[in-house]
Amino acid sequence: MGVVMPLNAETAQARTQRVVNEDSTDIALFVRSSQDDMTGWNRQRIVDALLRETFIDRGTAEKISRDIEVTIQAGKVKTITGPLIREMVNAKLLEMGLEEARRMHTRLGVPLYDVDQLLVQHNKENANVPHGPEATNLTLAEGIKKEYALLHVFTPDVADAHLSGDLHLHDLGFIDRPYCSGQSLEYIKKFGLNLPHALSMAKPAKHAEVLLAHMVKFAASLQSHFAGAIGWDAINLFYAPYLEELSDDGVKQLAQMMIYEFSQQAVARGGQAIFSDVNIYWEVPKHFVDVPAIGPGGVYTGKTYGEYEKQAQRFAWALFEVYKEGDAAGRPFFFPKPLVHITEKFFKTDGHMDFLHHICEVASVKGNTYFVFDRGDTAKISECCRLSFKLEASDIEDAKKPWKMRYSALQNVTINLPRLAFKAQGDDTKLFALLTEKLQLAAKAHGQKKKFIERLMSLGKGGPLSLLAMDLDGEPYLKLHKCSFLIGMVGLNELIRVHMGQELHDSDASIKFGLKVIAHMNIVCNKLAESMGMKFVLEQTPAESTAFRFAKLDLAHFTTDAEKVVQGNREKGEVYYSNSTLFNVGANMSPIARVEKEGLFHPLIEAGSITHIWLGEAQPDKEALASFVINVFKYTQNDQIAFSPEFTACLACGKTSRGLSETCPYCESKDVDGITRITGYFTKISSWNKGKLGELHDRYRNVDRFNQ
Amino acid sequence: MTLFTTDDCVLCAQLKKQFDLSAMEVQVEVLGNNDAGALAHLAWHGLVEKARKALPILVLDDSSALDEFGHIESHLLDRAARYGCGVASRHAGKQAGCESGSCALQ
Repeated sequence: MGVVMPLNAETAQARTQRVVNEDSTDIALFVRSSQDDMTGWNRQRIVDALLRETFIDRGTAEKISRDIEVTIQAGKVKTITGPLIREMVNAKLLEMGLEEARRMHTRLGVPLYDVDQLLVQHNKENANVPHGPEATNLTLAEGIKKEYALLHVFTPDVADAHLSGDLHLHDLGFIDRPYCSGQSLEYIKKFGLNLPHALSMAKPAKHAEVLLAHMVKFAASLQSHFAGAIGWDAINLFYAPYLEELSDDGVKQLAQMMIYEFSQQAVARGGQAIFSDVNIYWEVPKHFVDVPAIGPGGVYTGKTYGEYEKQAQRFAWALFEVYKEGDAAGRPFFFPKPLVHITEKFFKTDGHMDFLHHICEVASVKGNTYFVFDRGDTAKISECCRLSFKLEASDIEDAKKPWKMRYSALQNVTINLPRLAFKAQGDDTKLFALLTEKLQLAAKAHGQKKKFIERLMSLGKGGPLSLLAMDLDGEPYLKLHKCSFLIGMVGLNELIRVHMGQELHDSDASIKFGLKVIAHMNIVCNKLAESMGMKFVLEQTPAESTAFRFAKLDLAHFTTDAEKVVQGNREKGEVYYSNSTLFNVGANMSPIARVEKEGLFHPLIEAGSITHIWLGEAQPDKEALASFVINVFKYTQNDQIAFSPEFTACLACGKTSRGLSETCPYCESKDVDGITRITGYFTKISSWNKGKLGELHDRYRNVDRFNQ
Repeated sequence: MTLFTTDDCVLCAQLKKQFDLSAMEVQVEVLGNNDAGALAHLAWHGLVEKARKALPILVLDDSSALDEFGHIESHLLDRAARYGCGVASRHAGKQAGCESGSCALQ
């Protein structure tokens, strides 16, 4: 990156250099280049760069360089930066109508003012990223990669659609990574920690603690290769063969180590915490029952996983004991997120009611538990804020060799639904045509990202994605041919409000029309998948910042329409659209009605959905929640639910209290921070963006609902 | 009452041949690659996952659903009788069954 230097601020070295060069240069001008040195003026460099980076002819390049030289001479400047010369050349290209050449010759960078702001102020695009030198390094790098992606990876129509807010290309700053990954612990149990570029190689772990160390390091490595979540399947089951020699205290200690290791990684890494999910089963999932178990040293134990049910249950129980206690200050752990699968077999497995009460108590006390509903024969790996990969027949076959089970979504593209309704002006045909158009554009964006990642992957073990290219089991770690391409939606509720004059919770007709919109998306995705040979699936976008961004852009560009439907507080700028297909967060609905009605959409959104039940300061009985969970499983179509209590953490006395308060109830300090679920994970409210703060204010808390 | 079907489902086709469904006031929804309305209607009744396993599905006026072919056929026979509608006989020797394996929402 070039360094901007005041033209009169010469260094001693530069002065010396100038004296040496003055006689031999055409003009007494020094250029501070991108290579951290001072070089004398050389017009030929402009010609070389234009010929190297663009398709213009030598004559034109020569003419441009001469014109620039004249301009600079006329300015009588003594020192000039490389970036400024480049921008002058770009202006010239623009003047000559050579737009494509200008695009190719563009320099990516960040204005001085922005860097200054970034170094000082907390970037709240992702509440999971702390503020610090490492994080600002990452933010600056992300900024460059984002520009690169929009200029070089995506075509102008796709980039423009993102910039204008018709759709949102997620994680552009991570353009050279896939989106997220779900995998099995069996990979490191079988192959040890044998990663490309590692300074040492570890054989398969012989002890539970070592396996945990391998898991955490592997997760950290994966996190630096994926933009989003790192999920682990059936974690308690795959640990089970290592637990036989451990006492209950030993198992609890291991559970504690796992949770602390993952939850404290944010501090250690400086960037985003490892967005980690652990999938937990009380029963042994049907597809693992007869699978030979891998034990210490990567050796088969001679038993099947079906024989490890009790050990797996011990670990699952211990994990939730740790979650219930919270951290040293009694705060909930933010990561790893525990996703408990509620299945038909769960209810046939001994001890399930005790375990259900146990995890419901954790849900009530700390809010950690996610209840994932796998009805019928459905099996899936869940992760991220709500993403899930449903296991297909070939995956069930892979389950016989569980280390082969790894799933990835390559990218997530979200469509701004309310804007479609603004443009359709009440016309159904136009609405669905516009929706189709945006879905096609989203698919096109996915195709372009796929091509880019394929290019990086083709560089193999010597390339930047060597970790994903490693093939210890005969296949690259990233199975590109099996990747999903996510298409999300934001603001269905506001689309309905614009199009029908009602919100989703207002009438059955609203819900039915909402279902038609999502059904249309589902059908178009299937058609696009068939025609492009890519697996397009709908996902409820977590939209942590997208719901805010779309609302802001629509207020700016569709002001009259948007003002009528944007949620939140416009005066404070705390505006947002409802996430995905969620109903108005402030609607006064019973929790079961919300779960049931939002759940009607879930089967159409195959890559994952969730319903949040905001608890506020309420702490319902575990029995009430258990009964609620059973009813949701039996009588609704809902895919996943989570109960979210709120906490106040006092930074003065270190104590944690229930509910959100402006002062600590213990020491009355005002130095407090709130904690609750932002979208699909817990975090500190001080790190939230304005849109989410608006939503927090509006949330309907089910304070007394579970006592009725 | 609504019968959810697909175009390439042999069991659905059999019911359509056997009964005069419109005369019996049975709405037929064809789930396919073009009808978001039909899929949304299915989702409204909470039957998407069921339909992914097997079709046809008959949703009764009280919103309960029948997904076993025998029960659907039997219910439609009763309704045909109530409505005074004729019933075409099944092809002799033809067993109800989904030979193509496509009697489900794809």
